Amino acid sequence: MPKCTIDGKEIEVKPGTTVLQAALDNGIHLQYFCWHPDLPVDGNCRTCMIEVEKMPKLQIACNTVVAEGMVVHTKSAKAHEAQRTALEFLLINHPIDCPVCDQAGECYLQDNYMRYGLYDSKIELEEKVHKRKVVDLGPIMLDAERCVLCSRCLRFEDKVTGTNSLQFVSRGDHTSISTFDGRKIEHEYAGNLADVCPVGALLSTDFRFKMRVWFLKEHQSVCPGCSTGCNIYVDERDGSVERLRSRRNPDVNKSWLCDPGRALYKQIDVTERVSGARVRGAGGWAGVTVSEALDRVAEALKSAGAASAFLATPQGTNEDLFVFKTLADSVGGKLDFRVGDPQLKVRQMLDNVLQHVDRNPNTQGCLDQALGRDGVDAILAACRAGSVKALVLQGPELLRVPEAVDAIAKVPFVAAMATHEGPELDRATVVLPASMWAEVSGTFTNYQRRVQRLDVAVPPPGDAQPRWELAAGVLSRLGKALTAASPREVFGLVARATPGYEGLDYRALAYMGVALQPPAGAGDAAQEARA
Amino acid sequence: MATRVVTVDRNQKPGVLPILRGLQITLANFLRSLFLRQASTVSYPEQKRPVSSRYRGIHILTEREDGTPKCVACFMCATVCPAECIYIESGERPEKTIEKYPTRFEIDLLRCVYCGFCVDACPEEAIIMSRENDLVGTTRAELIIDRDRLMARGKVVEHGPGYRPQEHDVRRPVRIAALERLKSEHGIVPGMPAPKTPRG
Repeated sequence: MPKCTIDGKEIEVKPGTTVLQAALDNGIHLQYFCWHPDLPVDGNCRTCMIEVEKMPKLQIACNTVVAEGMVVHTKSAKAHEAQRTALEFLLINHPIDCPVCDQAGECYLQDNYMRYGLYDSKIELEEKVHKRKVVDLGPIMLDAERCVLCSRCLRFEDKVTGTNSLQFVSRGDHTSISTFDGRKIEHEYAGNLADVCPVGALLSTDFRFKMRVWFLKEHQSVCPGCSTGCNIYVDERDGSVERLRSRRNPDVNKSWLCDPGRALYKQIDVTERVSGARVRGAGGWAGVTVSEALDRVAEALKSAGAASAFLATPQGTNEDLFVFKTLADSVGGKLDFRVGDPQLKVRQMLDNVLQHVDRNPNTQGCLDQALGRDGVDAILAACRAGSVKALVLQGPELLRVPEAVDAIAKVPFVAAMATHEGPELDRATVVLPASMWAEVSGTFTNYQRRVQRLDVAVPPPGDAQPRWELAAGVLSRLGKALTAASPREVFGLVARATPGYEGLDYRALAYMGVALQPPAGAGDAAQEARA
Repeated sequence: MATRVVTVDRNQKPGVLPILRGLQITLANFLRSLFLRQASTVSYPEQKRPVSSRYRGIHILTEREDGTPKCVACFMCATVCPAECIYIESGERPEKTIEKYPTRFEIDLLRCVYCGFCVDACPEEAIIMSRENDLVGTTRAELIIDRDRLMARGKVVEHGPGYRPQEHDVRRPVRIAALERLKSEHGIVPGMPAPKTPRG
């Protein structure tokens, strides 16, 4: 383990670590633009200049590997002058249109100018080289004037997606990035280009002019789009989610997030949400309080007893699933979750970057808690035979299956927890309003069997409640109240009851999650291709 | 501070003279306004007291040469506003050099504390203040004024612009619609209203 001294601080690092990485890991600030933790080193921006003793010239920290006994100065007069000059070069042709730039507030140029620059520009605004502005590249807006030519986007397109749709064109002062012949960017990872761009050259079209970033409050969460379980930030203002951003987790998604995942926030703040409970009577739907609706469910389950069936949803958190299973076991009903067979797709990659075919975030959690018990077909057959008197659905998946319609019609009592309104809900007898992923705390288990935590970001609409609270409400009406009253306590029960989860603690999951023993068959070809 | 001892003559005889002496200033003012018409009060609202040229009254949104708002919806004013009374929604302008403009720009004048921070924060001199200080409305809603009313406020004519500290820093000239109209239609260039108040 080589030891070095950076700004008088003695640091021991893993062999092969660069000075920049070592400095950043130890809280020593250094400016950088072209370096990115998940992209190959390029060293073109020259802003991370450092002075290394016994080396005649200044070095770039991002490409200098720590050697034993190295003494580095990042703040010496010589180094600071070099850093300042490099930054001044980057700003020569920059239009300084921060007031209209969406990057303002999370811009490397702004931040580093405040730290290193603070000079008057030597180039008048009129004399700057003008380049293409407001170029629509589909999901991305390009402003070539703001670009600092760090090539992060080029390296992303080269190394991560392999699409190579962006390139440098022209020479000298007039160099700019462009797609060939103004083509749009068409792959499903374009949002990452806006994320990797340290300045406002590549910006999200979806987020354009929507919000200044300093108004947003970030909440750590997990993407519910597929079984990958990418770590994300939910950026919210006054209870309305404005965007999703990737959160770095080297073991899951690195720094990336797919565009379908980024677009999921649009499901949250919409008018078609189920915001109150309702019961169908002789005269059609009647709105009731959640408590009254839970009374109805409890009554139906009491009279049905073992002649009941339960269908869990892989959209639910581990806590949701656990309480739902407890409810099913308390009356001895049939239980399953495999509507559409997600368990077969949980480890099947959709592309060679991030996405999985299974579009549920917690299929692995369902498998770990052994929710696939009686078989969906067997439950439907029992419904058709008339031996199911009450059907409780944790999600509306089954209601959407055309082949199940006749079977569901035979069941006298169908309760469905739902987040969004839809025509399929008319097949239910009782509709319970459920919170969505951004509105609950809990855990998902991803395809690798990594248990990851999500936090509440926004309040749910109307009377909506987390699914586990709804199930717990029915349990207490059946006289079998749960001993846990918070997601953390329910997770404690999950950890005790689920094989492989022993000893897990909700708080200790922190925000990077805890990887459990990978499930059998995890090392298939698709996984290895990704690694 | 040294203590000053005042001796009051408790044995003074009551009478008219001490009363008149006590009313000396009041009487002087009374006689002056009665015979010389030199009152200290003004007949508001017909008469108004002059206010400073840096007075912070109701806001004005300034315009470009073509009559569109100078504002680029950067949200600096809304960010700095301690009363959180500014509401902005931004949209896309066709000019690629400007890009952004406010589709909505509303100030809740009842919430505003007239601190002038919005004017200080503005990088474009798009928001300045006027000297208008009489705020009258019959509902709360009509005192939340929108972008177009902020841009063309007829009353500015009467009062003139107030606080605009960056006037000499910003290169492009600022147009205020109402002032322009007054100049073209009536040939009047309003400055500070001439002090007509007869103060003693």
